[in-house]
Amino acid sequence: MSIEPIAFWGLAVVLLASSLAVVLTRNLFHSVLYLALSLTATAGVFLSLDAEFLAAVQLLLYAGGVVTIAVFAIVVTERLVGDRITQTSRQILTGFILSGALLIGLLAIFRKSPLTVPRPAVTGDLTRAIGQSLLTSYVLPFELLGVLFLAALVGALYFARPDD
Amino acid sequence: MAASGFLALWAWLAPGLAFLILSLVFPFRRSGKPAAWLSIVVSLGSLVGAVTAWRATVPDMARRLLWDWIPVEDGVLTAVGVLVDADATLMLILVALVSFLVQVYSLGYLADEPPASLGRYYTYQSLFAFSMMGIVLAPNFIQLFICWELVGLCSYLLIGYWYPRPEAARAAVKAFWITKAGDVFFLIGIVMLWSRTGTFDFSELFELAQGGGEALAGLGLVTFFIYLGAAGKSAQFPFHVWLPDAMEGPTPVSALIHAATMVTAGVYLLFRTSFLFQQTPDVLAAVGWIGAFTALLAATLACVQADIKRVLAYSTVSQLGYMMTAIGAGFAGAGFLHLLTHGVFKALLFLAAGAVIHAVGTNDIHAMGGLARRMPQTFIVFLVGTLSLAGIPFFAGFFSKEEILGAAWAGGLTVPFGMLVLAAFLTAFYMFRVIFIAFLGGPAPAPARHDGHGEAHAHDAPAIMALPLWILAALAMGLGIWFSISHPEGGFAPPGWLTPLAIGVAVAGIAFAWLVYGLRAISGDRIFERLSWIGEAAVERFWLDDLFALVYRRIILGVSRIVGWVDRYIVDGILNVLSAGTLTAGDRLRRIQTGQAQDYVYGIALGVLLLMVWMRWPR
Amino acid sequence: MTLQAYLTLAAMLFCIGLFGVMTRRNTIGILLGIELMLNAVNINLVAFARFLGDVSGMVFTVFTICITVAEVALGLALVILIFRIRRTAVADHLDLLKG
Repeated sequence: MSIEPIAFWGLAVVLLASSLAVVLTRNLFHSVLYLALSLTATAGVFLSLDAEFLAAVQLLLYAGGVVTIAVFAIVVTERLVGDRITQTSRQILTGFILSGALLIGLLAIFRKSPLTVPRPAVTGDLTRAIGQSLLTSYVLPFELLGVLFLAALVGALYFARPDD
Repeated sequence: MAASGFLALWAWLAPGLAFLILSLVFPFRRSGKPAAWLSIVVSLGSLVGAVTAWRATVPDMARRLLWDWIPVEDGVLTAVGVLVDADATLMLILVALVSFLVQVYSLGYLADEPPASLGRYYTYQSLFAFSMMGIVLAPNFIQLFICWELVGLCSYLLIGYWYPRPEAARAAVKAFWITKAGDVFFLIGIVMLWSRTGTFDFSELFELAQGGGEALAGLGLVTFFIYLGAAGKSAQFPFHVWLPDAMEGPTPVSALIHAATMVTAGVYLLFRTSFLFQQTPDVLAAVGWIGAFTALLAATLACVQADIKRVLAYSTVSQLGYMMTAIGAGFAGAGFLHLLTHGVFKALLFLAAGAVIHAVGTNDIHAMGGLARRMPQTFIVFLVGTLSLAGIPFFAGFFSKEEILGAAWAGGLTVPFGMLVLAAFLTAFYMFRVIFIAFLGGPAPAPARHDGHGEAHAHDAPAIMALPLWILAALAMGLGIWFSISHPEGGFAPPGWLTPLAIGVAVAGIAFAWLVYGLRAISGDRIFERLSWIGEAAVERFWLDDLFALVYRRIILGVSRIVGWVDRYIVDGILNVLSAGTLTAGDRLRRIQTGQAQDYVYGIALGVLLLMVWMRWPR
Repeated sequence: MTLQAYLTLAAMLFCIGLFGVMTRRNTIGILLGIELMLNAVNINLVAFARFLGDVSGMVFTVFTICITVAEVALGLALVILIFRIRRTAVADHLDLLKG
């Protein structure tokens, strides 16, 4: 038996379980930690898809950066509000029905579409290919991304300034 | 001949131009006297144009000037323009002349009016001149009808000139309603005629009539409807009730509109379209009978009137009946001739009566007396008019009246002939009744009204009012003398005993009036008692006014009330329900906007779901 | 595994994230749900890129990751600002858009 299905199923279970935990846990801090777990599982999924570069990026930016920011935000607001933030949920049933329906719809679409494509062989270095296309065909969005980051930076600074 | 068309066109359009200027340039109109002078000068120009046009016409030839108007798929529906022949220009001269003289006279009669009202008056006068000439010169039914309605509008505006008076306002509305009733039938008749023949044009219809085509068969209903329009305007029974009430307007207006021009439009219409009526002899017979009956009825009513203007109004109705009888007998020319002479001397009578009213301050003849001594000039011109009306030789009305009697006899309408003879007797009687009561005899016993000089201080009219009177009187006498010398042929040979009969009847009427009112040999009251049933009915104007009022109030106003109710509760109600429903729906729908972002996410997710379902729905 | 498996995984993750967005009271919780949804999108993109042999799907994923990071940073900054002003963490209290 090849390792690949086992890996996939394992990763899938972890991913789904941790995401469910993200949305269902009462304690907000625990939610963030479960999010970190699910982001890491996603990086594993990327690996199983032979996208090493993306797995690395995911770990660095998502599991590292985003989770850090979220933790900071929770700590700051907790201090502001004064007591531990607990999560309560609203209108669970309606949400469940709606997302369930959406899921069923999506799965139905997948059933009807011809998606049984065999996995082609890996040709060449994917990372190199990504790098090349990033700096040749997609250089313009790449540069714009820089501008976007600049804007985000400025915006964050503006938000963070003290009131006077 | 070519010039006559353009001359007539100019004579017609000039008052229209004056009207436009006066109606659009407010300060000019409100200045009063300058507006009046503009109107007068323009109407003088019209008169000159009309006379020149007449001189340029050739007998039995007509000149048409047309401009295409309403385009339809293949060709033109109708045109505008002028149709000028000798008769049209004669009528044009009458309209222009009386219009001019009345406008000059009004400057004196309405001298006390505020300038803005005076300007308004002359604006209406110009519009009237324009519309009346439009009727005279119309080459087709459409233009005639449009000008017909305009003339009715002017009549309403001018009768109700003193609109703060409730009687004047009521009289204006009454005139409008009753003529409108006739006009509805007129329009139906015009459309029916068009649907048969495909044309509105007089010349084309004339050709069709000459050709004897079957397109003009079965015209009886059509011509009857057209006659009803004429009957409304020309005050035939039972539509005559508006004319006496129209005396609420200023006297010059009565002279112009309700004596010489507008009311004669009906007669002129029948005269113009007589080739159509000749196809339907039954309708013509009806026209003749109704005309004669109207003549007799109105003459009876005139005998018991105390208001001098009402006497003249009923006299006009009676004379219109004469003209219609001549047309009904088949000799439209005789009717037209009487139209022309009557226009002259009736305008004269009205203007003279206006001079009297202006001086004495009241319309009541019993409040006047012995005016001949105090107002000699007015008396002379009034006498000239009366003698013309009574049909005394060498005065204008004699020949035309005798022609009508001859036409009635020759046309085979014997009973109407008898009615006309009786009416002639009564005409002389009631006119001289007025003369004996108001002008001759002693001073009046009844006190005069406050606004006026009073009978004791009566004096002749100022020059601006007297000049038109003398011109008309001279014209009346001149026409009378000219006809006595060389009368136009009527197309029939009157019986030899006609002239003595006509003169004798007139003289008898004068003599009877002298006996009753001059010598007081016969008591008027005794006669009144003897003929009490007619007399009282006459005083009540044969209850026709009451009948019309009943129909108006109950039926027409009742229908209006019902329609108003439907409009308020059903039409408006539907709209109100719709708007209230919209408001309520909006109120309910705004609850979707809870302000909670997550609810909006719900909305988006629902939308995506629906889109997916819709995309995947098995077709 | 087949493409369909990956897509199904991504779909489930997406719907779980949607559920989180719709039901969480706390604003930060909502942002975490958004994170999950974006994650699902990334898995989708990479799976398609891998199975169809086109690398531009992965390039797109790089972009989405970067943009998401920026968005989360600013979103959380906003949340902190709102907490400073309104002293509340609950999204239900932020209803100024109520019609």
